[in-house]
Amino acid sequence: MIEVSELTKDYGTVVAVKGLSFTVGKGEIVGFLGPNGAGKSTTLRVLAGFLGATSGRVCIAGHDIAAQPLAARRSLGYMPESAPLYPEMRVEEYLTFRARLKEVPRAKRVSAVGSSMERAGVRHMAGTVIQHLSKGYRQRVALADALVANPPLLILDEPTAGLDPNQIREVRALIKALGDDRTILLSTHILSEVEATCERALVIDRGILVAEGTIDALRNQKRAAGYQLGVRDAKRAAESVIQAISGVISATALAPDDTTERRTLQVSLAADADAERVLEAVVEALAAAHIGLHALIPEKASLEQIFSELTRHEASPTAESSEAGT
Amino acid sequence: MNGFSAVYRRELLSLWVTPLAWVLLTVFLLLQGAIFYSIITHFTSMADVSVDTGPLQAYFGQESIFLLMTLLLVCPALSMRVFAEERRSGTIEALLTAPVTPTGVVLGKYFATLTTYAAIWAPTLLYVVILRKTGTVDWGVVGSSYLGLLGIGAAYLGIGTLMSAMTQSQLIALLLTVFVEFGLFILGVGEYIFDPGILRDICAHVSMMSQMEDFSKGILDLRRIVFDTSLAGVGLFLTVRVVDSWRWG
Repeated sequence: MIEVSELTKDYGTVVAVKGLSFTVGKGEIVGFLGPNGAGKSTTLRVLAGFLGATSGRVCIAGHDIAAQPLAARRSLGYMPESAPLYPEMRVEEYLTFRARLKEVPRAKRVSAVGSSMERAGVRHMAGTVIQHLSKGYRQRVALADALVANPPLLILDEPTAGLDPNQIREVRALIKALGDDRTILLSTHILSEVEATCERALVIDRGILVAEGTIDALRNQKRAAGYQLGVRDAKRAAESVIQAISGVISATALAPDDTTERRTLQVSLAADADAERVLEAVVEALAAAHIGLHALIPEKASLEQIFSELTRHEASPTAESSEAGT
Repeated sequence: MNGFSAVYRRELLSLWVTPLAWVLLTVFLLLQGAIFYSIITHFTSMADVSVDTGPLQAYFGQESIFLLMTLLLVCPALSMRVFAEERRSGTIEALLTAPVTPTGVVLGKYFATLTTYAAIWAPTLLYVVILRKTGTVDWGVVGSSYLGLLGIGAAYLGIGTLMSAMTQSQLIALLLTVFVEFGLFILGVGEYIFDPGILRDICAHVSMMSQMEDFSKGILDLRRIVFDTSLAGVGLFLTVRVVDSWRWG
């Protein structure tokens, strides 16, 4: 549905996007993730045809956006960041205008506007002047606008920005529902949003794609993960035994004052450690020290951790390695 | 031309549901009413009215400086928001990501302002009706006079549309437009200053006052029409280029 190859966009001296390549398949819901200023909006604006690419090629539904801009724009519904609308128009008036602009045939216009208002939940606001709408409703009107020509592809730039938690939940549910029969690319700097709505994520940082894959694959790709171990350990030797294994950063008891035999240990692994090999070594070492193991709970790194690791800038890796050395 | 009719309709609606068009209409009609009233009073007080000038010729022709002064205010105010406001509020992004061409958008907006301009003039037809009650009216002169006014409006609004695309501030768009149009107006005054020669010919050619004087006598000078439409055309052509250039900003 979207094919981007070697996309570069610069604003004079500032390079916003550098050699970005990715594809989004039909029917996918993909999250476009990155910190503020990473180049998310710039990329989406290029995809939507608002900005021209400095170099590289972008195809939307098989149409090259440089060679066939109108055909490409016809097949997508775009919701710009902060949902700009004409304040003096009524909701229905605005959507009718947008439907006319997007070449919805006259005979279908009324039903197209009606169903888009229905889906975005703004039907009861049809006669309200946009100026008088709350931020949440404006966002929904912009979403209805993206839907009005029933395009196979939706590009949404920060669709939940500035909404309250209830509205965020509603918009996410709506996006999921919309994803049943169309392709969606949405940008966000909030990770839980990607976890809640998307099947796949593209992580971008300072104009470069730093990771790509399903949410699970991303978690596995860089897991600074660990385990919780339940051990029967009368001598309280488990910590030192486990810490001696290379690849383990720390092993600490969750309730150090607990004097019973059964204890729970939190084991953290170094980011570059081979999790499976370390686990084997841990089990062997515990057996050799006659410490009983009765529970093993693998801990996946949260997407937050992965995100901050992927988008960490030059200064930070030294901090990470010194931490690993202690 | 994709998007022309949708943009045209929205722009018209937008002009007339906000106070702008109504304020301009009111101010415009008050001024025109005052001008027309003083001309009529002048003519009724004159003992010997010459045969070839009537109040209509005075209104549209010899005294057209008053009428043009009001246009120097009304036209820039009509065109100032068309692009400046869209860019300031960000709605331009939604507009240009629809399947539209820059030409369609620019022309849609331009013709909406031109239609509004014509609508603002429409009530002045009552003056002709009033004159019709007391004497005969040469409808050919009325037609050519309004054609002249339409030409001036077309040129001024073309310049205004370009200025609106050059800035995100309506106020600056207004000032730039007034500046350029006032410059043209002053250049026209040169006709009465310079000695006969090339300079004076140029001034006479661009003078909106001479244009109205000709048209109010029923002289349809094609060069005038060509001048007006080329001003509008150059303005709109450049506007399309400016709109296109935003993609590379």
